[in-house]
Amino acid sequence: MIKRSADTSNYSRRDALRMVAFGGAAAFITPNLLGEPAFARSSAAKPSGRVIVGLGQEPTVFNPLMAHIEVDDGVHFSVFDALFRIDPQGAIQPNLAVEVPDQKNGGISQDGLQWRIRLRDDVRWHDGRPFGAEDVKFTLELITNPDFRAWRTAGHALVRDITVISPTEISWRMEEAFAPYLSFLTETFIVPKHILGAEANPNNAAFNQAPVGTGPFKWGQRVAGDHLELVANPDYFGEGPHIERLVFKYIPDLTVLYTQFKSGDIDLVGQPYITPDHYGEAKTLPNRVVTLVPRTSFESFYLNLERPQFKELAVREALYAAIDKEAIIQGLYYGVPAPTETFMPRQSFFFNANLPLHQFDLNRARKILDQAGWAPGGDGIRTKNGVRLSFTNSTTSGDPLREQVQQYLQQTFAQLGVEMKISNLPAAVMWGEFWGQSKFDSVIVGSTYLIGADPDVTNRLHSRSIAAKGGRGSNNAQYANPEVDALLDKGARTFDPEARRAIYARVQELVRRDLPFLPLYQSNAVEGLKKGINGFVPNGNTRTESWNALAWYWAS
Amino acid sequence: MTVIAAPATPTRWWHSRAVSRFTRHHLALVGIAMISLLVLACVLGPYTLPYDTLQIDLRARFAPPLSGQHYLGTDPLGRDLAARLLMAGRISLLVGFSAMLLSTLIGTLVGVTAGYRGGWVGVALMRTVDGFLSYPSIFLVLALAATLRPSPVMITVIIAVTSWMETARIVEAEVRSLREREFVQAARMVGLSGKHIMFREILPNAMGPIIVAASLAVARAILLEAYISFLGYGIQPPLPSWGNMLNGAQQYLASAPWLAIIPGAAITIAVTSFNFIGDGLRDALDVRDDHI
Amino acid sequence: MVTRMSGFLLNRLSQSIVLLVIVSIIGFTVLNLMPGGPLAQFGLDPGMTQKDVERLAAQLGLNRPLWIQYLDWAWRLLQGDWGHSFRDGSSVLAVIGRHLLATLLLMGTSTAFAIALGAWVGIRGATHRYSLFDYCATVGAMVALSVPTFWFGLIGIYIFTLKLGWVPAGNMYTIGDGSVLDYLHHLILPSLVLSLVHVAIWSRYMRTATLDALSQDFVKTARAKGVSERRILLKHVVGNALLPMITLAGMQLPSILTGALVTETVFTWPGMGRLFLDSLGYSDYPVVMGLLIFSAILVVLGNLIADIIIATVDPRIRLG
Repeated sequence: MIKRSADTSNYSRRDALRMVAFGGAAAFITPNLLGEPAFARSSAAKPSGRVIVGLGQEPTVFNPLMAHIEVDDGVHFSVFDALFRIDPQGAIQPNLAVEVPDQKNGGISQDGLQWRIRLRDDVRWHDGRPFGAEDVKFTLELITNPDFRAWRTAGHALVRDITVISPTEISWRMEEAFAPYLSFLTETFIVPKHILGAEANPNNAAFNQAPVGTGPFKWGQRVAGDHLELVANPDYFGEGPHIERLVFKYIPDLTVLYTQFKSGDIDLVGQPYITPDHYGEAKTLPNRVVTLVPRTSFESFYLNLERPQFKELAVREALYAAIDKEAIIQGLYYGVPAPTETFMPRQSFFFNANLPLHQFDLNRARKILDQAGWAPGGDGIRTKNGVRLSFTNSTTSGDPLREQVQQYLQQTFAQLGVEMKISNLPAAVMWGEFWGQSKFDSVIVGSTYLIGADPDVTNRLHSRSIAAKGGRGSNNAQYANPEVDALLDKGARTFDPEARRAIYARVQELVRRDLPFLPLYQSNAVEGLKKGINGFVPNGNTRTESWNALAWYWAS
Repeated sequence: MTVIAAPATPTRWWHSRAVSRFTRHHLALVGIAMISLLVLACVLGPYTLPYDTLQIDLRARFAPPLSGQHYLGTDPLGRDLAARLLMAGRISLLVGFSAMLLSTLIGTLVGVTAGYRGGWVGVALMRTVDGFLSYPSIFLVLALAATLRPSPVMITVIIAVTSWMETARIVEAEVRSLREREFVQAARMVGLSGKHIMFREILPNAMGPIIVAASLAVARAILLEAYISFLGYGIQPPLPSWGNMLNGAQQYLASAPWLAIIPGAAITIAVTSFNFIGDGLRDALDVRDDHI
Repeated sequence: MVTRMSGFLLNRLSQSIVLLVIVSIIGFTVLNLMPGGPLAQFGLDPGMTQKDVERLAAQLGLNRPLWIQYLDWAWRLLQGDWGHSFRDGSSVLAVIGRHLLATLLLMGTSTAFAIALGAWVGIRGATHRYSLFDYCATVGAMVALSVPTFWFGLIGIYIFTLKLGWVPAGNMYTIGDGSVLDYLHHLILPSLVLSLVHVAIWSRYMRTATLDALSQDFVKTARAKGVSERRILLKHVVGNALLPMITLAGMQLPSILTGALVTETVFTWPGMGRLFLDSLGYSDYPVVMGLLIFSAILVVLGNLIADIIIATVDPRIRLG
């Protein structure tokens, strides 16, 4: 049914749908679905060669269960395995598990509460010890250990009664039905019980500096502040790895990152990729392959809906109409990103393509404000009921392109009688309580809503998730719409992809109407690699370019 | 310049000699000329140019210098670089001057008090000076700038707060040596108050080193502002400063090198001028080298 | 003499400790007043909730009152525990150690270059006083002190990397090469840029010191004895002029940290300066505090060493 190929463009959306729907069906059970490069090389070949991936941030957290950021993912994907992986089409594939459980194959009970996972029996840790169900149990329990500085606990906190049935089989009960958990598990890497379990304090274990996994690459060495090196695991259970050494090089300056790609010092540009202003030149470089890869993150003009200026929909609509997206995308971003109307990435199965399209129209914006009763005051700034249409906008300082967007919008808004003041903050200040507790007026932010390819966005849009009002999530716009709440609750309990598709299409429609944020564009990564690296497949459903480094090889 | 006019002191006899020595110092004169030109251009320039500093024109991005009406070219948003450079000059120079005034004030107050009072007050004050000095100032400045909202006023205060110590040391040493001189003893005999002696009798005689230190402090403050703004912790756009104009420039070094070259040259000219002036003042006011 | 010296040392030591306490309190307060914090980096994670962030804050002890956090930190420091980096969990001393070498390499190269060139310029300026060379050196030194280092670095990259392609734009070595030649290739530009300011300082000091030495009696005696100028210069003058230079070197010890901060940024050099900026950017308090204390200790040591050298070399100077 499926001819495996690394060439992603062969897949239609229907294929993707089938994979989501039947993900893990017997036809898929192949040991190396993800491990095989296009026109697979003979697996007998000894790993050879080295790939240097340039990164703009430094990977520093190597225990995959501990709180970490995007850039650490590349290491985790290479050193560890999860129960499942997500492929570029958004389908979930088995990794340490032999099949993806669902309600049809009985892996998940009809009520969604009982889960049963069968595991591979041919997996060994890098130190030679066999992998088994006990390791999975240990991993899931460690995450919810109150003393452990775990990363995400959502989903995991619902797991009860973990039972090891045999070394290759494990089951648990969920406190409530939670469909997104399968996606969560694609980013939950399994750690060895025999090493971490013996540690008195897993937070400071030596393991965290020299991890031992089951993945295609073993830990090599790290030169802090500069680079780290992984070496091939010849005993990997899947096919690959084909390269002998995988190096992650930290280059904090994005211009230098690009320059080093140009000069050939690095083989592949990882996060945050080539800056859009270098895209035009990069395309013309000899012996380099430069492509635009859709990412899941989207850029938006976030509004704090509890501010009196933004409470009224008319204001949000007027501001949206006053944004010249075309000028921003073509002029400032060199046509790299794609305009969007929603938080859902356009490559997603759940993307709603029928949302009303934005049009830049200053006159319409003026009219909307006039009709809503926002009249220009003495200083030219519109006012209504004593509220001046003036606000600050913040973003992370040190991002030149975003700062240009700000200054450009500042000028257009001024023509509308809207005052926008710019107050940028360093990242460590910006994304703390200023963002988390909604202390901003407005923010320009690039954010990812999805975990894996799951459409659940409760954390961002459910009224229960407003941290500023005591909620537990990250609904920083303080958006509250009862219909959206109900849909999100329903969507999280629903396992059937088609049914979920309808639910989240409606959510996107409502959010587009209410505009808790003004969607600007969906990001495209300008991915660059040397000609000669084969097997590289971008995957917008993961946060890293190195999710399948096991498949990379140099053309000889 | 104010610097020369400042010593309206009873000791006028050295006044004219210092001026004549200063005017014979070629470098100092060059410095005065350069800085006057720069200040004049920054004050008047923006009115003579046809462009506004904030006027964005996306069709005119990255125009190289001497293209059409844009004498120095344009920046990534198509804003006129000349207009921005001069506007940035106002801010950078103002921050530099104000920071100098503030740091000189703090330094002088601390120095005079510590030097005149001596005893435990003096020890405590001078140990505090040591404390501040043992931070590498760029560390402290960056930590402070990251903590506080970086408005121009705040940046000025931060720079002043981290650079008054040199002045304090110089003044303290000077005052300590002056304290035992006859005219101070005499003033004490007459029963003048401590405050009067400190600020009316001693301070005017310590003016020389203070003035020299101040002229160098301007240079330092301008550089420091440039450093922290370059690193992104200083003056925030769209307000231009010479430092933050350089902040984004590294990115365009290959395609639009003038974005980096021009603001940096402005900083160098301004700072060099103040260093020249400082050198001239040092010779003119006969201040020993090893203090500063 | 011995007791005076030890008394002096004891006095200085106690003062230094008070100093370090003040330094650490100020630093700790400033850092912690900063809104946001080390957990801000998780603010955009789609799967981490506000509750997760609060849990981490509690686990890391960040939700305690500031003064308790300070006392806890200080108490551990006294026991030799500098804490652990929030970013990678390794100990602060290990983190500093990893970056120290890169900075030492850069600073060492540039200082060696600066001393050599600075001494030559200074001595020549002193022996050819008021010559065109002397004049140019004086003006040049003052201009050099006025050029923002990072700008000089950018211009250097523009000319020598982008236009001429002679040297790499940044980094300490090519991965997989790591030969001495490769290191040197990467070192040239940043160390030259960094040495600019130091050449200026050293040449000025050297000039003054040489002039001082030249006016001493022993030089006049030597001249009277008919010793050649060259010999006088090498044997008497330079030897004497170098003494204050040692002091200067001691005083410049702390600039190991700060001197290279901006240069390291421009040239993406994996040293202490960049560590500081990175750690500040992530609000990695333990590392930032560690660096502040580390540099304060260097300052104290530098001053102390300078004082001792002066006192040993020139007993006329009163200790205290």
